[in-house]
Amino acid sequence: MKKILTLLVALLLAGPVAAQNGPLRLTITDGVIEPITFAAPVFEAENAEAAQVVNNLNRLVAQDLSGTGLFREIPANAYISQITSFAQPIAFADWRAINAQALVTGAVAVNGNQMTVKFRLYDIYSGQELGGGLQLAGTTAGWRRMGHKVADAVYSRITGEGGYFDSRVVYVAESGPKDNRQMRLAVMDFDGENTQYLTDSSAIVLAPRFSPTGDRILYTSYESGFPRINLLNVANVGRQQLQTAPGEMAFSPRFSRDGGSVIYSLSNGGNTDIFRSDLASGQYTRLTSAPSIETAPSLSPDGTQIVFESDRSGTQQLYIMSANGGEARRISFGEGRYSTPVWSPRGDLVAFTKQNAGRFHIGVMRTDGSEERLLTASFLDEGPTWSPNGRVIMFSRETQGESGTSSLYSIDISGRNLKAVPVQGAGSDPSWGPLQP
Amino acid sequence: MRTPGTYISATGHVALIGWLFFGWGFNADPLDFDAMDVSVISGEAFEELIAARTPEPTDANPTAPVQPEIDDTPPPPPAVEDPAEHTPPPDPVDPPDNELPPPPAPEVLVTEAEDTPPETLDVPAAPPPSPNVDLNTPPAPTQAARVASTPTAPPPPDAQVDDIVREEVVPDETATAEVVTEDTTPTAPEETATEIAIEDKKPSGLVETSLRPVSRPSRPTPPAPEPDAPTETVEAPTEVETPSDDAVEAALAAALAVEAPAVAAGPPMTGAERDSFRISVNRCWNVDPGSVAARVTVEVAFELDRNGLVVGQPRLVASDGDQSATNIAFEAARRAILRCQSGGYALPADKYEQWKEVVFTFDPSGMRLR
Repeated sequence: MKKILTLLVALLLAGPVAAQNGPLRLTITDGVIEPITFAAPVFEAENAEAAQVVNNLNRLVAQDLSGTGLFREIPANAYISQITSFAQPIAFADWRAINAQALVTGAVAVNGNQMTVKFRLYDIYSGQELGGGLQLAGTTAGWRRMGHKVADAVYSRITGEGGYFDSRVVYVAESGPKDNRQMRLAVMDFDGENTQYLTDSSAIVLAPRFSPTGDRILYTSYESGFPRINLLNVANVGRQQLQTAPGEMAFSPRFSRDGGSVIYSLSNGGNTDIFRSDLASGQYTRLTSAPSIETAPSLSPDGTQIVFESDRSGTQQLYIMSANGGEARRISFGEGRYSTPVWSPRGDLVAFTKQNAGRFHIGVMRTDGSEERLLTASFLDEGPTWSPNGRVIMFSRETQGESGTSSLYSIDISGRNLKAVPVQGAGSDPSWGPLQP
Repeated sequence: MRTPGTYISATGHVALIGWLFFGWGFNADPLDFDAMDVSVISGEAFEELIAARTPEPTDANPTAPVQPEIDDTPPPPPAVEDPAEHTPPPDPVDPPDNELPPPPAPEVLVTEAEDTPPETLDVPAAPPPSPNVDLNTPPAPTQAARVASTPTAPPPPDAQVDDIVREEVVPDETATAEVVTEDTTPTAPEETATEIAIEDKKPSGLVETSLRPVSRPSRPTPPAPEPDAPTETVEAPTEVETPSDDAVEAALAAALAVEAPAVAAGPPMTGAERDSFRISVNRCWNVDPGSVAARVTVEVAFELDRNGLVVGQPRLVASDGDQSATNIAFEAARRAILRCQSGGYALPADKYEQWKEVVFTFDPSGMRLR
């Protein structure tokens, strides 16, 4: 008790002292925006078999990080000291001298078709390790996934956000001329590798959407001549038509956040409204009933609200309503037409396609419609989809003319680092899946 | 040609003059009425109206109600006024209205003002003493003059003593307690004098007085920075006496002891010196505007040695964000501080006491995405 009292007295006395004669206080408001420099020396091969994979694995980690635009790798020929062993102490001064802010070291061991990867991440200037060492185990065939996971961990520890490297994207793979285009559903790694085709090109397919766990895909198919919603199991590629409310056309589906129900658009007699159907029971609920066209619904991360597009004001604009329907409030007020809204996984932004003055844009705005920013501009950009951490937007861009093709692009939400995703052939309408377990 | 024009002109002018003549006659009558109003009937109206006023001033705020009441009052005046003068009864009403409202308003205000003074008047039995006290307080300053004579001596000695103390304290950073005692011994006698001056003022205020005299002496005391430092130095030893219990207390006492000399540590850093320091950290502060950390402001504290090199690790003092975003923002700030020191921050060596401890506020609000 006496201690506490004396401490309190001391603090009371110390307060005014600090206020009057405290340390030098300065406010820093203008920083710089530049990539964080890192060094990733080739991982240690703990046995002879591992020697074949360490280099590829190391390059993959470096590519993932550099590809974000937030990191810049320092080339190996600039190194002053070499990392020959995973256990060796780090000579921080040597890495400081070449201005490396982060250092990734690792070791790989391969036994048959099994491999383990260990890595550590160091903050060079504080001379400390960021997080503890981490060890991953997997198959040699899945070495890319292990590399992505290492990169995800590094990215997450430095930026404080989840990563997105170990994730997949479903999209519509296109081939042939514009007037006779063949369309197939395909999935690939976020970087365009490991492409798999899920459907044949016998019918037009549109707007695939991953489930929250990535095990199923909803898409719109013209198999029957009219647009219908199909549900596809990624593991066995089995598919079935979704039981919707009765109507002429059903399209633009998305999973609810729990994956148990689907929200979609249903068109009947020229009027289009938004519905929700339970996947297990098939029961449906009408969420809008305006005489105008309501479509492209997207749920908020907490599942309580829906953002959608509607032409009730005369032009396509974005609106937000409760997940159970009811009155909607308009959030887009700029010039032009807004469509395909998608709620960010972080919950703070809505991405959209905007058409104005003969140009298409991908943009983001806050959920109250403020702070609208257009990230891209081209002949035709559309269909944004968020990375699992809400940091990157992927979309499809089509070039002008009869020979024009569609391809996938990604851009950081800061408006930087626009780049083409290396897709096999042409692709459109991407949907970014979750981080894989 | 001339004749018809002249005729027409002549007839027109004649008609105009005639019309003006008659029109002027009509207009002249009302003007006469107005002129009559102002000149004459004021004296009696005042008395009667003032007698009848008491209801009106309450309504005085809205002017409209005043008129109807006056309409009631006028009938009596006309009876009296009829002998004196003719129609004016309506007119006299207007002038009194204009003139009277001002008097009532002051009356009401005065009554309110009088209400407050009576309270002071209850004291006023005392007020004679209060002016006496006011007169006595000036003598109190004279007492302060006595004290002032001694303080005038202290200021120069303070500066000298401080220089000596700095040199001793810096090398003895670890042994803070000894430094504290040294500080107290030289400064104590002088400061006790200044504090006694405060006590001297208190007895002067002991005379039955309102709060005002108390507040006056309190104002002069804060401006003098010197008494504060001494009180602190005096307190430091008191803590040194108790702290035998706890290492934290010892650390606090040490901090107090170290800060005491810093108070008198030469001239402050100039704006240019501060800007130079700030800019040298700016260029190493890497902000990712798309990150959640870009919405967090952190305060980071650290110490510098005489070469401008960071001693130990910067530490997080405050933040306005959640834990994970704060961690990222802090790491970016720490990286900036450590990266840009290279051979040591270029700071004025003679003002080391001013910058040996630094707290940087990293505020990225101006760099957020817009």
